[in-house]
Amino acid sequence: MPAESFTNEPIAIDTLPKFEEVILKKPHADYLKIIWINLFIWIIFTGLPLILSLLFIDEVKPYFAPISIAYLIIVITVCCLYHIGFNKRGYAVRTKDLIYKSGVIAELTTIIPLNRIQHIELNEGIFSRMFKLATLQIFTAGGQSGHLKVSGIPIDEAKSIRDLILQKLDLIGNPSTNIEVLHE
Amino acid sequence: MNRDFSRPQRESAFGIIVMAVHTIIKLTKALFFFLIYAFVKMGGSYSRYTLIGIGILLLACLIYAYFSYLNFTFFLDKEKQEFVVNKGIFNRDQIIIQLDKIQQVNINQSILQKIIGVYGLKIDTAGSKGEEVSIKAIDEVSAYNLKDHLLSSRTQTTERTLADTVLDQPDGVLKISSWTLFKVGLTSNYGKSIALITAFILYLIQEARHIMEVFHIDKDIVKSTFLSFATIFSLAIIVAVLLIAFLIFNVARTFYKYFQLEIIQYKQSLLLSSGLIAKKNTLINPKKVQITEYSQNYFQRKLNMLNMTLKQAHFGGNKKDGEMQGNTLEIVGCNSTERDELLKMILEKIPLKGKTFVPDWRFLNLPVFFKLILPVAIFLVLAFRIPEIKPFIGFAIVYLTIGFLMIFISYRKHRLSVNQEFVIKTSGIWDISNEIIVPSKIQAITTSQYPWHKSIDVGRLCLHTAAGEIRFKYGNYSGVKQLVNYWLYQVEDGNENWM
Repeated sequence: MPAESFTNEPIAIDTLPKFEEVILKKPHADYLKIIWINLFIWIIFTGLPLILSLLFIDEVKPYFAPISIAYLIIVITVCCLYHIGFNKRGYAVRTKDLIYKSGVIAELTTIIPLNRIQHIELNEGIFSRMFKLATLQIFTAGGQSGHLKVSGIPIDEAKSIRDLILQKLDLIGNPSTNIEVLHE
Repeated sequence: MNRDFSRPQRESAFGIIVMAVHTIIKLTKALFFFLIYAFVKMGGSYSRYTLIGIGILLLACLIYAYFSYLNFTFFLDKEKQEFVVNKGIFNRDQIIIQLDKIQQVNINQSILQKIIGVYGLKIDTAGSKGEEVSIKAIDEVSAYNLKDHLLSSRTQTTERTLADTVLDQPDGVLKISSWTLFKVGLTSNYGKSIALITAFILYLIQEARHIMEVFHIDKDIVKSTFLSFATIFSLAIIVAVLLIAFLIFNVARTFYKYFQLEIIQYKQSLLLSSGLIAKKNTLINPKKVQITEYSQNYFQRKLNMLNMTLKQAHFGGNKKDGEMQGNTLEIVGCNSTERDELLKMILEKIPLKGKTFVPDWRFLNLPVFFKLILPVAIFLVLAFRIPEIKPFIGFAIVYLTIGFLMIFISYRKHRLSVNQEFVIKTSGIWDISNEIIVPSKIQAITTSQYPWHKSIDVGRLCLHTAAGEIRFKYGNYSGVKQLVNYWLYQVEDGNENWM
């Protein structure tokens, strides 16, 4: 670094951009439908064998009421958790990082600087494709815990986020290109 | 001999022997008890065939080693800055490692290699274990030459001629004496020794069972002799003997691993060498160390010494402890001035503790509930139901007091200090560790908060690095958020490399 361009002034931390004040985008409303479809499939796969065994296996029959009530409670809580979880999710792309918020009880906010991303993955499931949605997975060198999965992004937006990140990664790979170009 | 490694070349021909012996040892380890079994069961008349079989096996090992020697070549691609290895007898494998991705170079010498007079060279990247390169036999000059080429990163290649001349003059040397090692052996790494001993005893018991089956030894006889031993010596003596044996083992292990531990600083690399029988030389690039940690327990504080750990990046994520070893380097038994010297080598300056964050007292809630109250409650319920457990109820009080004390200490020691250049996290109960990271090594940041902690402004922080996580719980949340913004600024503003 040439000496004349080097400055070292004190930073007013209060004036730095605040991640907690960024307005987050919610996943597309259609993604809630996908969540419900997945829940429905899960209920069928777990509930059907249970009902069949309750009806036809003699040893289980006397416990019909408690088992079915317990199952119903589990199903209702799981559904509620997913529904609440959907409303708590949010994501935002800033010029230099990516913010994702989630969590049913505790509010988790993960921030990944774009220049720390190792690779990205764009996934489209069967149902996601029907609603033109996609899941974006972001991997860093931070291992399992530094890995982010953002679901329910409209496919066009997901692709543009992907392209933006790839462009940024390219710039880091070839530092000779002017990095400032991206900021405009 | 070709010293710049730009053309494909084989390792030293002695490699055949090293490789053959290596395979034979592996085979013997796997088949040892099977062989004994075979000898005992089949009797003398068949032992000739067994010997012939073993002979064929040995020959096969030698032939295999010869062919893998023939097919193993390596060279340095200077233009692409890559190290290329070709190997494989039936499948041709090519391993290409970018030079700036190399994390450390190990130059080791086992007893066999010592006898023959060659060295083994291993290249570690942050990737999974399978991608590593290991050259089994190379002469000393070539080994150190190759290491210089491998560890000089892209920017330094232009000034290689200059670097070559200075390379032999180390910038700093640090030696750990045998007396210090003895003290280290007495005071640290109990956990690892216990794990090793248990694993060894379990292995012994299992193999003893095999042998007893083979030789038809009655289990009851063994048991009764064992019990009579136990009655001759009182329990106290047995415990004392075991403790002393444990300490001796711990000291011996420390000596085996860290004998003549030396840290030498060169222009752009750090050389760590140690080992009693098999000497290990590890070369790392200090800039690639992700987390620098030093820890100290009560005894060690009295003796003014501490252990340092250098953690490097590992992408695998699900690597087992044993494999992690390659990515964590330990320097034991340095005193505080030596620690400062080492910190200067790695971080360029001694990190000072800046603004310190202290957890809220609610830190205690969850561990006290889940580790103390819940188990004790279950124990008490059981104790009142089952009369056999009832006499042991007193233990609950002991457990509660010790447990609470430990949790309280861990709360008191849980600290996060931050200044402009460093983040230092202090934690621990017995071994108090200080983990130091430079903000540019941060890969991602997670903050979280429970809704019922919103009013008291308390939350958690997790810094993800390539060598693991740094967590800080129950800190002042608005302060934490301010820090996060600052770190993000530091990571995103500069294009500082983390690797």
